[in-house]
Amino acid sequence: MWIFLLADALSFAGLLLAYGILRSGAAVWRHPGEPPLGINFTAGLTFLLICSSVTMVLAYAAATEGKRTQTAAWLALTALGGTLFLAGQFHEYFGIWGPGLSKEGLVFGQSAYASTFYSITSFHGAHVFSGTLYILVILARWLQGKTDAAHVEILGLFWHFVDLVWILVFTFVYLIP
Amino acid sequence: MSHASRKQYLQVFLALALLTALEVGVVYLPAIGKGPMVLALVGLAVTKAALVGLFFMHLRYETRIMRLTVAIPLATPAIYAVVLIAEATLRVVP
Repeated sequence: MWIFLLADALSFAGLLLAYGILRSGAAVWRHPGEPPLGINFTAGLTFLLICSSVTMVLAYAAATEGKRTQTAAWLALTALGGTLFLAGQFHEYFGIWGPGLSKEGLVFGQSAYASTFYSITSFHGAHVFSGTLYILVILARWLQGKTDAAHVEILGLFWHFVDLVWILVFTFVYLIP
Repeated sequence: MSHASRKQYLQVFLALALLTALEVGVVYLPAIGKGPMVLALVGLAVTKAALVGLFFMHLRYETRIMRLTVAIPLATPAIYAVVLIAEATLRVVP
């Protein structure tokens, strides 16, 4: 898993590097008519992902102690955190309870600002999606007694990596003015 | 191999929540200049990422060679980023 995560980290590094070079070399980054990114809402999503990392380590701690029901409950909560994060990202893009960025004028392909935003955040979103599926598969196998604490630890590595990358994406894409 | 305790996990969680609030606070600080703000934000993000890696991903409890195996490939693109972004910023267009 570590070897995979290092390769995956380099994929994110490539995207963030391209973002940094494009942004620092651009005379105008956000063109008139393009909306700013919502910092407060995304800070909420960041907090949600941090909470889901905690539920994941608690699942692992319970798994090492052989507490099967507790492990299943923490894993289910972690999957819920991932699902809510994805719902939040869908709302940010397309709008569920209000207009999303795509309706407010942030259109993929229209500018480097828009394209790098969608490329980086959707690549991360794909990781949250696959991570949530991974959790659900391990949860199902855990309930059937077909997996052990070592598998939960490896799953945790992937999930924490998704959290760690988001911490960097949140800073570089959303926070840095 | 020993790992962090539940108490440590919760302490790291509190630190991460606090650092996230601090990040948002830094962005809304009117008096701070762009340079110090970027430095503060990058410092906070690296601290948060290190906490996740060291405690949640258990790197703190791994062997030295394992920690280096992870740290060196991750540090390389960071150094590369500093050089390339500085070059893009300072480039003189004829």
